[in-house]
Amino acid sequence: MKKQFLPFNGLFRHEALRFLAVISILLFAIMPLLTLAFHVTGNDLQYILKDPGFRDAVRNSLFYTGTSALITTVLALGAAYLLSTSSLKNKNLFVILLTLGMLVPTVSVGLGLRILFGTNGFLDLLFGIEIEVRGFAGLIMGSVMTSFPATFLILYDALQYEDKGPYDAASILGIRRFSTFFRLTVPYLRIALISAFFACFTLIFSDYGMPMEIAGKVKTLPMFLYDQFMSSFQYGRGSVAGFVLLIPAVISFVFDLIFRDQSVSEKQRKLIEAEKAFNCWTAAVLILLCLLLILPQLAFISLSFTKAFPNDLHFTTAHVANIFSNTHGVGLSAYIVNSLQLAALTALTGTCFAYLLGYLSVRKPGRMAKAVDLLALSTIAVPGLVLGIGYIFLFKGTNGRFYGTLLILITVNVFHFLGSPYLLAKNCLSKINSDYEVIGETLGISKGQIVVRVLIPGSVSTLVEMFSYFFLNSMITISAVAFLCTYDNQPLSILITTYEKNSNYEMQSVISLIILFLNGVFRVLFTAVSAGINRVNDREKEGGAALSRYAFDFLTYLEKHGKGTYSQRQLADELTVSLSSLSRLTHELDERNYINLLSDGQMEISEKGLKALEPYRVRKAVILAAGFGSRLAPVTLDTPKPLVKVNGVRIIDTLLDALVAKGITNIIIVRGYRREQFDQLLEKYPTIHFIDNPEYNITNNISSAVCAVDSIDRCYICEADLYISNPDVINRYEYTSNYLGAKVSETDDWCFKNHNGFVDGYQMGGTDCYQAFGISYWNSEDAEKLKADLQRVYHARAGKENLWEQVPLKIARKNYKLEVRTCLKSDMIEIDNFIELIAADASYARYPGYEEFQVRE
Amino acid sequence: MSEPIIRAVNISKKYKTRTVLEDISFDVMQGEFLSLLGPSGCGKTSILRILIGIERPSSGRIYKGGADITDVPPQKRNIGIVFQNYSLFPNMDVYHNIAYALQARKLGKDEIDRKVMEMIETVGLEEHIYKKPKQLSGGQQQRVAIARTLVLNPDVILFDEPMSALDAEIKLALRSQLKEIQKKLNITMVYVTHDQEEAFALSDRIMVINDLRIAQIDTPYRIYHDPADAFVKRFVVDHLDRKVRSIEDSIR
Repeated sequence: MKKQFLPFNGLFRHEALRFLAVISILLFAIMPLLTLAFHVTGNDLQYILKDPGFRDAVRNSLFYTGTSALITTVLALGAAYLLSTSSLKNKNLFVILLTLGMLVPTVSVGLGLRILFGTNGFLDLLFGIEIEVRGFAGLIMGSVMTSFPATFLILYDALQYEDKGPYDAASILGIRRFSTFFRLTVPYLRIALISAFFACFTLIFSDYGMPMEIAGKVKTLPMFLYDQFMSSFQYGRGSVAGFVLLIPAVISFVFDLIFRDQSVSEKQRKLIEAEKAFNCWTAAVLILLCLLLILPQLAFISLSFTKAFPNDLHFTTAHVANIFSNTHGVGLSAYIVNSLQLAALTALTGTCFAYLLGYLSVRKPGRMAKAVDLLALSTIAVPGLVLGIGYIFLFKGTNGRFYGTLLILITVNVFHFLGSPYLLAKNCLSKINSDYEVIGETLGISKGQIVVRVLIPGSVSTLVEMFSYFFLNSMITISAVAFLCTYDNQPLSILITTYEKNSNYEMQSVISLIILFLNGVFRVLFTAVSAGINRVNDREKEGGAALSRYAFDFLTYLEKHGKGTYSQRQLADELTVSLSSLSRLTHELDERNYINLLSDGQMEISEKGLKALEPYRVRKAVILAAGFGSRLAPVTLDTPKPLVKVNGVRIIDTLLDALVAKGITNIIIVRGYRREQFDQLLEKYPTIHFIDNPEYNITNNISSAVCAVDSIDRCYICEADLYISNPDVINRYEYTSNYLGAKVSETDDWCFKNHNGFVDGYQMGGTDCYQAFGISYWNSEDAEKLKADLQRVYHARAGKENLWEQVPLKIARKNYKLEVRTCLKSDMIEIDNFIELIAADASYARYPGYEEFQVRE
Repeated sequence: MSEPIIRAVNISKKYKTRTVLEDISFDVMQGEFLSLLGPSGCGKTSILRILIGIERPSSGRIYKGGADITDVPPQKRNIGIVFQNYSLFPNMDVYHNIAYALQARKLGKDEIDRKVMEMIETVGLEEHIYKKPKQLSGGQQQRVAIARTLVLNPDVILFDEPMSALDAEIKLALRSQLKEIQKKLNITMVYVTHDQEEAFALSDRIMVINDLRIAQIDTPYRIYHDPADAFVKRFVVDHLDRKVRSIEDSIR
């Protein structure tokens, strides 16, 4: 037998899988459409083109869809722009509120509008306002509400990837926001806007849940189709309508395929924050918008708790309480189970399938990879309604085995919702390094192993997102499932349409409420899960995260105090942990051999413990000493302030001694004013390096920080004029980036607030705050950001007038989480002016020329 | 230098529209450090991919230790590879990155532990056993990548521009480290680079590639003093001279 070339064999296996994937998409997503075509006869076509009912339906649909898609796109653009350019704290909360509509079936939105506006609606009963909402008015209102969330997300997402540099530049140049919107945002979003409009149009055009409630006498195309199938049994004519429904979806799909940038890029951060007034306006506008959007939801929620609408408006929980009882209510529990079962199974199979498709299309080149990709994407274009009727034709013969079972519902949902999760999987997988499979081959690790051990762990949060998409959509969908479910396995969303037929508002409202509640719960759950995953990932990135905060504190405490007897109580107090967690910690550290518990009850940090602390060791210190120190004139007329002697000791020596005592000998001093005088320091501290700042007299100290930018990494950045009386303000190890401050009740110096342990609100003067001392620590990750931000601000117009610490603490504070590191006010002696100098060292009272200087000032 | 461990004979590689290698033949000697040097797109990475077995030559044969391995799959060639970006398994720590291939071969736990620890010692990563790749510096990551291939005891290790992602300063340190490992284990290394200094600093022999063919294959000394053609002179000799001159100018 001829020896086979195995890599190619592997390729064949991939191609075989791809072939299967292609076949399955063809069978379950494309074939159903083709079977529709087989049912259209020439007669049908002739008849339907002459049928005034059909022409009306098309005209109506085009009219209200076009109008509402336009309104929605404009609204969504406004909201996306406002939210992304503002500096609001809880942006994600707004996103959740604005997209709340995604959690309920569209039919519930229609229902809500009817309850609000109709005859005997809430507005009528409460204020006597009656609006004829059934018809175009309601259709447009409802369409805007149902299509807003998806449209908003497309645009908001696109804005996340926009380069924010031009906006920062514009705001520095004083260009008005209004102008940047039209000159920067709209041109940038051109493609995304058209794409969002198409997506929105398609969504509205093919929806029939919402119109069912609110269209009144206006016939829309989906309703025409539904009637042809379900009441007139004119399958051929219905199919023609189905193809018309496909047209906008196909246009939208082709447009995206050609124009939309599918490359994967990183999200961009904005550096300069929006002004307060703008933030307030944005918040107000968005809250108003949220309220308008959730009006229908509020309406059906209220109705669920109303005794007998519209006759008795008193509050009752009876409807909700009756959900599970068969005697008074309808016994919804079976349908709740149906819904959850369908959603969970759809989400499970859908996620696996979409992930597999993503894998097959990007992880290994091959002839059919492109085919898989195109077919998977094309499922986006198929409206659920059309897919549903296609399934009837195609699978009717399998009654009992496939047709009429839960399996067909799962299948139709998976293929209906496949497109977006597939895109998520594809993007995620294409970001993961493509060499893993090759590495695996050379190491003899199978592809399956690589998938399980490398790719899947690398895409957990994407998988959660995909699962969530399938789940939430399965809970609310009506279109495809409506044709395929049986009385016994129908989910909640279909049940609403049943009650619509006999105008039972209470039941419709209660069911809508249940769906909203369940989806709300699951949405929160999914968000929590992915937030948890992100936190774990972040912690791993944090470099040397093998140590927890408590373990770090424990070990540094032992390192500092050496071998000795420590009582648990004393340790617990020092480390501010409970006794029980302390004993757990001791046990754990002992287990990892980080500490030695000696037989005589003494305790010390072990060699291994020291090694574990190594990643946290402060590598160096950057001291900014270029300034003139004008407030100490006349002493500083010939001596730079750091070199001024107080009680016989140069001010800077207090800092240098503290650093050297903690083993930090890699010290970089940025000098400028009278720089030659600093050379005298080399005698006592030979390991110092100097960097000269030629711009010290025309810029603020940001220029000194920029001079030393290449040295910033796992280091302290210190001001040079601190007279340190307690050398323990310098540590050998630092857990994370921080800024030193002392708690004061009032100060007119630079200070910040302590917001849950992090630095916030840096400003000149304040009460009940932390006075900022110019010592801060920067871990690798923050140092990287700081380097970039310092240079950006420095090169911006008027950027040189900043203090360096204003960059991380104020201008770009969103990018940093700096811990507040506390010390006592007495740990430093402030020498900011001549009076304070005399207070510290009385000999200066006789300094020549001092009086003269005072008088001149 | 002794026996050739790898012989490439009349290798050509053609894609549908493009030829990347045309009838090239060369030997890799047992225990040597051979650099493949050439401008971007000259086909050096294709040679590497053919040697490792993830691409197949359009014509020609590859022999290792006398046996024809042209049709042998990568995992059976006993050749290791270190990629430009190292491609460490991101969710595994240093220990498991190295142990993974042994686990996949179903070795005993004790044996795995012994081999992995030995490897970790060889590349000097004792302090970082439980760190994940994200927590390591570029140089440390490279050492993990080398250890990961070394642990399978390969006959040859291939390097695909492993230094190009690093800072100039770290590069220097790593060069000597790499050389040290090679001397210590007496292992054959084939090293792809477009950096002339790197090739000269590391190699026993250099293979200069240009325009689908081998321009010259010889020791650094001979290449510098006796370049085979105008391209080698321009690409290697003139470049190095320019470099030396610019440094001389700046310290004068």
